[in-house]
Amino acid sequence: MKWLIAQFWRRRISILVLLAMAGLWQILSTIYTAEAVPGEPMVPGWQIVFSRTLLSLSDYWRGGLNVPSVAEGAPQSYLAALLSILDHSVDTIVRLYVGLLMGAIVGTLLGMAVSWSRWTRRIVDLPVQFLRTLPLLAMVPMFQLWFGIDFVGKIAFVGYGVGVIFFAGVVNAVKNVPQIYIDNARTLGASRLQIYRTVVLPAIFPEMRGTILLSLGIGWAAVLGAEYLGAQSGLGYIIIYSEQFAYLDRMFVVALIFVFYASISYAIFDRLSRLLLRWTPQAGRVVAHG
Amino acid sequence: MARAAGGRDVIVASKLSRTFRRADKQTVTALDDVTFGIDPGQFVCLVGPSGCGKSTLLKLIAGLMLPSAGTLEVEGESVTQPGPERGMVFQQDSVFPWLRVIDNVEYGLKCRGVGRAERRRSAEFYLERVGLSHVARAWPRELSGGMLKRVAVATVFANGANVLLLDEPFGAVDYVTKRNLHDVLLALWTEAGSDERRTVVFVTHDVDEALILADRILVMHSGRIVDDLAVTAPRPRTTDGLMEPTMVRHKHVLLAHLGLEDAKGAAEAPAGARADP
Repeated sequence: MKWLIAQFWRRRISILVLLAMAGLWQILSTIYTAEAVPGEPMVPGWQIVFSRTLLSLSDYWRGGLNVPSVAEGAPQSYLAALLSILDHSVDTIVRLYVGLLMGAIVGTLLGMAVSWSRWTRRIVDLPVQFLRTLPLLAMVPMFQLWFGIDFVGKIAFVGYGVGVIFFAGVVNAVKNVPQIYIDNARTLGASRLQIYRTVVLPAIFPEMRGTILLSLGIGWAAVLGAEYLGAQSGLGYIIIYSEQFAYLDRMFVVALIFVFYASISYAIFDRLSRLLLRWTPQAGRVVAHG
Repeated sequence: MARAAGGRDVIVASKLSRTFRRADKQTVTALDDVTFGIDPGQFVCLVGPSGCGKSTLLKLIAGLMLPSAGTLEVEGESVTQPGPERGMVFQQDSVFPWLRVIDNVEYGLKCRGVGRAERRRSAEFYLERVGLSHVARAWPRELSGGMLKRVAVATVFANGANVLLLDEPFGAVDYVTKRNLHDVLLALWTEAGSDERRTVVFVTHDVDEALILADRILVMHSGRIVDDLAVTAPRPRTTDGLMEPTMVRHKHVLLAHLGLEDAKGAAEAPAGARADP
């Protein structure tokens, strides 16, 4: 409890800014009362968001766990709404992170293949550079037709979007690995595979931080983009379904849920990368005290 | 001049050449028809002005670079790539910043599959010998330049190389640190009996450094070996020892080769100071 209070106190400025933003939203909702369609305000105030909107998310509950769905004739309930958020979140997050992981691994391996040998460079470089130029979101329909509208298609799409970013990031970062470390490893008897694992990989990580953060953002955009078209579940599906009925308040809630998840994933990544980068000269650097 | 290749030499170079093509399409000869042999256990310093080809020669022995012409053998085998039997200490800091000090010292042993306990024992032994036991668990960024050099020296010794190649290793450290590093290096080198000492090839442009360290000094100029001096002064070499007449003559010869004195000093050097008649 003491710890929690200390955390809040340490971040008091940020928390105040957040509260001010929420307040501004509320003021805006009372000043600007236009409606998209009758009964659906353009700027839904918090009193709507936390009552009607939250309850309405139970529309997307697909049933099970002895909690009947609205489609089965049950009334809207907060329990169904909560389960519905969890259910669709899990779908989206699984698609996102499985795709992200696969894209990161494949993109990194292909990126390293460019510097592995002359032959792997010839085979990999041009085709992947070519794939990289394709506009990501325009590829959604193709991925759906190829891989289907369910998980495989979404995961492949996220993997593709993240993979090409990782590829470009790795190719660039490997170029910047100081030759001295590679020479040192070679004279100490390391094989080429060992050099990639024990020298190239750790040496590129500081530079890859930016790429990884970027790919987290692209990953969210890709998974939502994929869910807009033809998915039967996921947070993107709720947004696109809401759009058909101009349910701006539901879209707003889903957007808030995104912010929540994204913040958590950035925080986890920050912790993790700080642990992995303890060795860098910049670790714990302060530009100016005060 | 440089002695012809003998049977028991650990490093044998024969008509070794290396050329580079510069960006302006000009061909530059860094190493020009060099022939020499180095005895096992000898401490050899390569001395010469900047750009004379001494670093190129070292890189060829290390296998980080291949010759344009000629042959090079180490321990009877033609050099085609780097190998753990030839350890190298570079001028720049080569210690991996993402590994703790002790993991750096163990690195080569780990790569070759030496067991955890054994490589740790070896790393701890050499860290102790270079006086760095207290920072075994530290990150390299927390060490001074001189300490990083000690780590690099401990690493090549722990790795068990028979031939140690040092490319101006202490060029970037201050005078006091440099003298301490000489002591550390010589202590590690001499602690083995004289018949099982490791062979050292040490590149430097510092005449005093060469005289303190070497059994033999090869002088290079414009890609060729132009002189071969035997330094027979007893070890450890004291400040007084460096002022002995033979050492002073050696110094004049070396300074003349570097263009810092006219060739008079070299001409006055007695024949006995040379490795070969």
